[in-house]
Amino acid sequence: MEATNNDSMNRSNAGTTDYDVLVIGAGIAGEESALKLADMGFKVLLIEKEPSIGGKMILLSKVFPTLDCAACITTPKVSETARHPNITILTLAEAESIVKEENNLFSVTFKKHPRYVVENDCTGCQECETVCPMVVKDQFQFNLVARKAIYIPFNIANPRVALIDIENCTLCGACEQKCPSNCIDFTQKEELVNIKVKSVIVATGFKLFDPISIERYGYGRYKNVITSMQMERELAPTRPFNSVLRPSDGKVPDKIAYIFCTGSRDHTVGNPICSQVCCMYSTKQAQLLMGALPMADISLYYINIRAFGKGFNEFYMQAKDMGANYVKGKIGSISEKENGNLILRYEDIVTGKVTEKEHDLVVLSVGLLANHEITKVFKNEKLELDALKYIKQPDLLQSPATTSIKGVFVAGTATSPMDIPDTIMSAGAAASETSGYLNQWS
Amino acid sequence: MEKKIRTVNILKETRKVSEHVNEERKKYIQIRKTLREALKEESKSIPQLAVDTNLPLPDVTYYLMTLLKFGEVAVDGIDDMDEYYFYKLIK
Repeated sequence: MEATNNDSMNRSNAGTTDYDVLVIGAGIAGEESALKLADMGFKVLLIEKEPSIGGKMILLSKVFPTLDCAACITTPKVSETARHPNITILTLAEAESIVKEENNLFSVTFKKHPRYVVENDCTGCQECETVCPMVVKDQFQFNLVARKAIYIPFNIANPRVALIDIENCTLCGACEQKCPSNCIDFTQKEELVNIKVKSVIVATGFKLFDPISIERYGYGRYKNVITSMQMERELAPTRPFNSVLRPSDGKVPDKIAYIFCTGSRDHTVGNPICSQVCCMYSTKQAQLLMGALPMADISLYYINIRAFGKGFNEFYMQAKDMGANYVKGKIGSISEKENGNLILRYEDIVTGKVTEKEHDLVVLSVGLLANHEITKVFKNEKLELDALKYIKQPDLLQSPATTSIKGVFVAGTATSPMDIPDTIMSAGAAASETSGYLNQWS
Repeated sequence: MEKKIRTVNILKETRKVSEHVNEERKKYIQIRKTLREALKEESKSIPQLAVDTNLPLPDVTYYLMTLLKFGEVAVDGIDDMDEYYFYKLIK
């Protein structure tokens, strides 16, 4: 490892042409692409900015329309990725710059954030967590509960290794004293790593819409207005609470409302397109809620139902048959009563009347947004975006994984909103096109 | 036995803990103590705990659920209306 003039960082140079492919993002698209290429014999480096691979899917409860357990599908794939001899995984790693050289190799610099825990030595025993005196909001439970400053992200995290949130650490050293395998290392620093690869797959996924910008819904002000990802966590086996509860007072809700298209199909928030998934994941959650809380009334306020995929319409009809109340209505505003209940004021699209209805929990079915920050990493060639700021696919029909840069491919929701089966297909296409490119190379 | 090297002391030379972090640590310790104290004699629901401790309801929910996650409290049944769970302290 070579020292740099930046004394807060270490810099390493792993030599030339270290890997055939760099995959950026270890969600399901990145994992699938990496696995397919690794099975073909290519050497893959998979980098992920979060402390665990698995992306957003690993945090879901179940998947639609089959209602299969999401973790049961994700975990084997995550393990297979982690154990594959042709895949090297780096978590807490972010691409800093990618330069295409004259010889068509990509020179990649990425930043590896310190974990303050020696990854190979940590056994995941969580002894450190028991003595840590500091708690902060748990981002992997979408702030519904707290976690410690030293923590394992979630039960099925991979690697199942602790990390220290140094910004919130009190530097008391209790974890270091307690650790039975002596793996806490506060001397770790950020590293800049340089590698060369033959091709790149961008699988950076999407961002969730933050409904705090729609003030009339009261998210952030009213405790019982939550997002669909928060409800997803409440329904998951590794849930933050002991049951589905209201965050305001721990009451078991019995009148739950869903508001579809929150932050999608909405010009006022700058996202005019359909999120492709919010109708169906809300329908899925409604079915799960009717199972978990058999006495609860579930009302779903929608503009149009888009049940376009295989088995989707049957799934929607099944929810209706189970008793889900679909209301074609546009929500004007939400107000809060003293007891934490919420009054929804909406236009009933069928009757044209403005109506009010009381619920004790409101779930905002948030949309998907483009995650385009990766474009600034490409220094000497431009990774072009489409009009909606997703990665542009110049040849969508014949070569959907191709981007504006030869040798750079794209997979999954980095191209547009899509559901899990489509993401897997997109990742397969990216792997196939990348292997074709690499074979031409050789 | 070889004395354990405390690498935290090395970091302490260059890094200071913010006032906000110290305040949050104190707040958690205080609330945890209050909730544990309130649950010492009998199991209680979140609204009962809020009344007994004078803490805001959402804070009781957040911190009690955190203690549940950390294994310090456990569920001890639900009320007759099936609305609020009771929580007990794990000794």
